[in-house]
Amino acid sequence: MDPLSWTGQIAFLNPVLALGLGLLGLSVLAWIGLSSLLPENRAITPSGAGLSLPTGPRELSGLVVRLAFLLTAAVIAAYLVLGLALGTGAGIIGAIAQRLLPVWIALVLLFALSIRFKQRLGLYGKLFDSPIGMIGFGLVMFWVFTGIFGAFDLIITHDPLAQLSGLKNKVPGTPLPRPEDGDFQWYLLGGDNLARDVFSRMVKGAWEVVKIAPLATLFAFMAGITLGLPAGYFGGRIDTILSFLANLILAFPVILLFYLLVTPEIVQTGLPQYMAAVLFAFPLIFFTVLINARFRTQPQQNRLWLSVVLIPLVWGYFSLINQTGSKINFLPQSLDLFNIPGGILVVFVSVVFVNSPTVFRIVRGLTMDIKTRDYVAAAQTRGERPWYIMLWEVLPNARGPLIVDFCLRIGYTTILLGTLGFFGLGLPPESPDWGSTINEGRKLLAIYLHPALPPAFALLSLVLGLNLLADGLREESMKD
Amino acid sequence: MSKMAEYDGPILEIDKLSISFFTRRHEIPAVMDFSVSVQPGEAVGLVGESGCGKSTVALGVMQDLGKNGRIVGGNIRFKGRDLAEMSADELRDIRGNEIAMIYQEPMASLNPAMKIGRQLMEVPMIHEGLGEKEAYDRALEVVTDVRLPDPERMLQAYPHQLSGGQQQRIVIAMALMSKPALLILDEPTTALDVTVEAAVVELVRDLGKKYGTSMLFISHNLGLILETCDRLCVMYSGEAVERGSISEVFDDMQHPYTQALFRSIPLPGADKNAHPLVAIPGNFPLPHERPQGCNFGPRCDYFEPGRCDQGEIEMSPVAGNDRHATRCLKHLEIDWAAPITLAEQKEKTQPGKVVLQVDNLKKYYEVAANALFGGGAKRVVKANETLSFAARESETLAIVGESGCGKSTFAKVLMGLETATEGEILLDGNNIEQTAIEDRDTRTISDVQMVFQNPFDTLNPSMTVGRQIIRALEVFDFGSSDQDRKQRMLELLDLVKLPRAFANRMPRQLSGGQKQRVGIARAFSGGARIVVADEPVSALDVSVQAAVTDLLMEIQRKEKTTLLFISHDLSIVRYLSDRVMVMYLGHVVELGDTDQVFSPPYHPYTEALLSAVPIADTSVEKQHIVLEGDIPSAMDPPSGCPFQTRCRWKSEVPGGLCETTVPPTREMQAGHQIKCHLSDEMLARMSPVITVAAE
Ligand SMILES: Nc1ncnc2c1ncn2[C@@H]1O[C@H](COP(=O)(O)OP(=O)(O)OP(=O)(O)O)[C@@H](O)[C@H]1O
Ligand code: SF4
Ligand code: SF4
Ligand SMILES: [Mg+2]
Repeated sequence: MDPLSWTGQIAFLNPVLALGLGLLGLSVLAWIGLSSLLPENRAITPSGAGLSLPTGPRELSGLVVRLAFLLTAAVIAAYLVLGLALGTGAGIIGAIAQRLLPVWIALVLLFALSIRFKQRLGLYGKLFDSPIGMIGFGLVMFWVFTGIFGAFDLIITHDPLAQLSGLKNKVPGTPLPRPEDGDFQWYLLGGDNLARDVFSRMVKGAWEVVKIAPLATLFAFMAGITLGLPAGYFGGRIDTILSFLANLILAFPVILLFYLLVTPEIVQTGLPQYMAAVLFAFPLIFFTVLINARFRTQPQQNRLWLSVVLIPLVWGYFSLINQTGSKINFLPQSLDLFNIPGGILVVFVSVVFVNSPTVFRIVRGLTMDIKTRDYVAAAQTRGERPWYIMLWEVLPNARGPLIVDFCLRIGYTTILLGTLGFFGLGLPPESPDWGSTINEGRKLLAIYLHPALPPAFALLSLVLGLNLLADGLREESMKD
Repeated sequence: MSKMAEYDGPILEIDKLSISFFTRRHEIPAVMDFSVSVQPGEAVGLVGESGCGKSTVALGVMQDLGKNGRIVGGNIRFKGRDLAEMSADELRDIRGNEIAMIYQEPMASLNPAMKIGRQLMEVPMIHEGLGEKEAYDRALEVVTDVRLPDPERMLQAYPHQLSGGQQQRIVIAMALMSKPALLILDEPTTALDVTVEAAVVELVRDLGKKYGTSMLFISHNLGLILETCDRLCVMYSGEAVERGSISEVFDDMQHPYTQALFRSIPLPGADKNAHPLVAIPGNFPLPHERPQGCNFGPRCDYFEPGRCDQGEIEMSPVAGNDRHATRCLKHLEIDWAAPITLAEQKEKTQPGKVVLQVDNLKKYYEVAANALFGGGAKRVVKANETLSFAARESETLAIVGESGCGKSTFAKVLMGLETATEGEILLDGNNIEQTAIEDRDTRTISDVQMVFQNPFDTLNPSMTVGRQIIRALEVFDFGSSDQDRKQRMLELLDLVKLPRAFANRMPRQLSGGQKQRVGIARAFSGGARIVVADEPVSALDVSVQAAVTDLLMEIQRKEKTTLLFISHDLSIVRYLSDRVMVMYLGHVVELGDTDQVFSPPYHPYTEALLSAVPIADTSVEKQHIVLEGDIPSAMDPPSGCPFQTRCRWKSEVPGGLCETTVPPTREMQAGHQIKCHLSDEMLARMSPVITVAAE
């Protein structure tokens, strides 16, 4: 087999892309320059005059920017479409585009359905009115789908842990020296230091991130909300104490905390597990209070809902913190649903621990604002209990800023996971997560660039997508 | 730059102006085909409900429509020059120098970090290149002109050290610094109290005369327009519907909307049977949902299908009147003098037994003098001082007073959100003043309910309307199943005259008046016997106020509720209440039947309050009483009589008694009490504040 070039038969697109990018760069520069120098055109355009060509250099440069952007986007789309059709014939790009076929299908379906029904989808639907939000959402969902399909072994070309001799540090597009039947013939993005396939490891790494980051952020939110609501609502001493604790945690050096938590001596004492026991209890408290407040006046319904929700939650909670052969070990083996590997537990605990004080402060601020509204007073005058007011009157109306922050925070958590992986903390050494992969690639960066770049790029684009998504959500939620 | 050359045509001419805002989804035509002209020295009023485009016109004149607003037709000429043809520099100069604008919220125009003197001096220093000394003298002059006490000290103060009324005066002073040719005032007094508002309005009117400034005065209050302007323009849903001089529009109106507007506001002085409130049916159309033809069509009594709903309707002059125009096809056919067709008169139920008895109630707050460290001396805020009254079944008791007088504090104590410092509140003979809401039983809680002021805040924005009412029913232990409660919820919607389909709507899909109705339904859901309504209609548009007020009274009649109606609007109080209680700085200064309170003898504060109410009726003569100064802070109340700092009768009381002793509460007639030192002879000499001129 021949090595694959980057673009194969669609190499003819390269000059067009270069042209588009060049034009885009130049026109953006010109546009920035012109709009800061020239005054705004305030001419009255009579209504109904239809689309008139813009006049003046300022408007013209704006138009050129838009055209250049469209050209570039069209070329990129052409790469993908042709690549899909030609597969390996279109070089590495084509092969990757083809491997990602399920992701493309899922994305197209998702966008088509969402745009079709966007009127009925509330804030999520409005996201599709904002180009920024759509791009962000697209990037995020790209990695989410990649992670999910990767987890089903759909996209990957090789076992991410298998080492094939002769492919150590080989450049992208290198063919397998001794392919067996049914094997994919190339290492699309080359081989790493241990002769593993970089492409497959990147795809598998996406799953690691998609699986841990949102969940850890969710737990951080549960803790932050459960503490932030009473602090903001009651104020006074509770607020003073909780705020002080939050500031204390925020002032603690994060990396030091991680190092402490993974130190074997500390793990021996069971500290991470005790912390997990506390932090993971917040969702339990949250849901108990939520249901109890809602059905206070209807004891029967209350009991029903509490049992439906709490029994699985409590069971899950116990399985989570229970670990055979560790400090917390009281559940019989048969009842322990799952075991979280110690490393991942530490990652979870640290992420929740570090993120929740910030969430706490946001929730507290929002609560202090919302509690002055008349509908809160109305709830008070009909004798509602404080927790009902906090969870059903205040919290739902704080959701806008919280959702935005949730997106941003998944981004931070992703970076944090990367950092942890980079320092080799928490996750097992051979784990394909992006942080660890970047770290391994780093060691030979001067000689072989390719193993470190794909995960770095993946991390960058996911976090960028999350930030854009948050921006889009913020913009759209303000428009209501 | 110097002012434009002498020019003697109209100062401002707006001709067929159309302004649209562009959102991603659609174009919102905010103003359409709007024309008005302002002559030198003339004050023109712009009235209309919120959302009708008043402020957009003002911003259009300032050429400050923001990113997505654009003038899509017509033009605006200032002193004969088209604003659209001016360069950005010329415009900037005109904006600071020749046109000044005053906004509703004074703090929005003041820089909180800069001394007032400097802010004022900057204006002529930047625009006219005046020297420091001249600028200071000019600043001193205008601050004296806006009648601020101690002008020199004022110039050294920061904005936050002044009260709302003083801040608004400073904003006016700042506008006058450049001696503008045109002053645009956008609801300049809405954020102020009635008596302060009256003083500011008088100031604006006098200054207009003194400086010869033309004014564009924007307000939703017809009474204020009557007091300040020479001409007015009534707007409805983006269009001018009627334009003319004050007397023409007030006494010889030629548009059904203007007529409906006048019929929907209560006028004190008019008898409620001879001049009943007539609500305008329906709601204000949203800008992108305007009907075909006449915008007012769907709500108009004279609507004629096939004629009023066809195509554009032009503004047409009214024959015989000078510069009077109307946008109604049928104005020649309508009999404008026809009497109002009276709805059937509902018999007022007689007040029954006493339900609520308040005795010597006091509520003091302790505030730490030093907020940061909590220690040190505590200061006491006396929010309620010896409140005593009784309220009977199916009676409406109005509680009147300006902000900070303790109305809301009393409501909080009654509801159990706070406990009383002293005295007692008896509900059916049981003490509740010390029982906080958590300790009250369900019956007591559902008996005493509240309707809130701000319709945009009164409903939880993320819960459906039906769910919110059902929740109240759940808390009040109504019914035994979800089915019962659902049924009752639908009945409550019927009660407040909302379609049952609204149960599944979110609050943001409702108009202000509709939200307020849901608030009322929620308050009555537990069969409330006492309902505290805290300014329930003051935040609503004039045309829906009447409907909500009527609804409240109708439910009250049906349910025999005791209504405690908190308000500062004496017109509406006169219209609906049986008894009135006037409060000032925590004290009840006057209490009596509506007729007793609204006719002499008055308490001096009541007298001033009555005189401050703007009345939209040219036949009403008012005594002119302007209170000096602002309401003192409750943290630091004056010694003796609470009203002594502003009272104009104080000199009639011998021996400086007013400054040393709190006056006793005196019974004037049966059930009429006044808290004042004035002798009976003095009180008897008072003349009525409001008189209706004989026709
Ligand atoms: N919790 C509190 N702590 C300290 N002072 C308070 C508190 N609540 C009210 N006050 C003071 O009590 C006085 C009466 O206030 P209240 O809110 O009852 O006035 P109000 O007549 O309802 O005014 P508005 O019409 O503006 O609502 C004010 O001076 C206010 O500052
Ligand atoms: S044009 Fe017709 S609908 Fe419009 S105000 Fe006149 S009578 Fe009423
Ligand atoms: S007691 Fe004196 S100061 Fe007070 S209201 Fe009467 S006359 Fe005025
Ligand atoms: Mg109040």
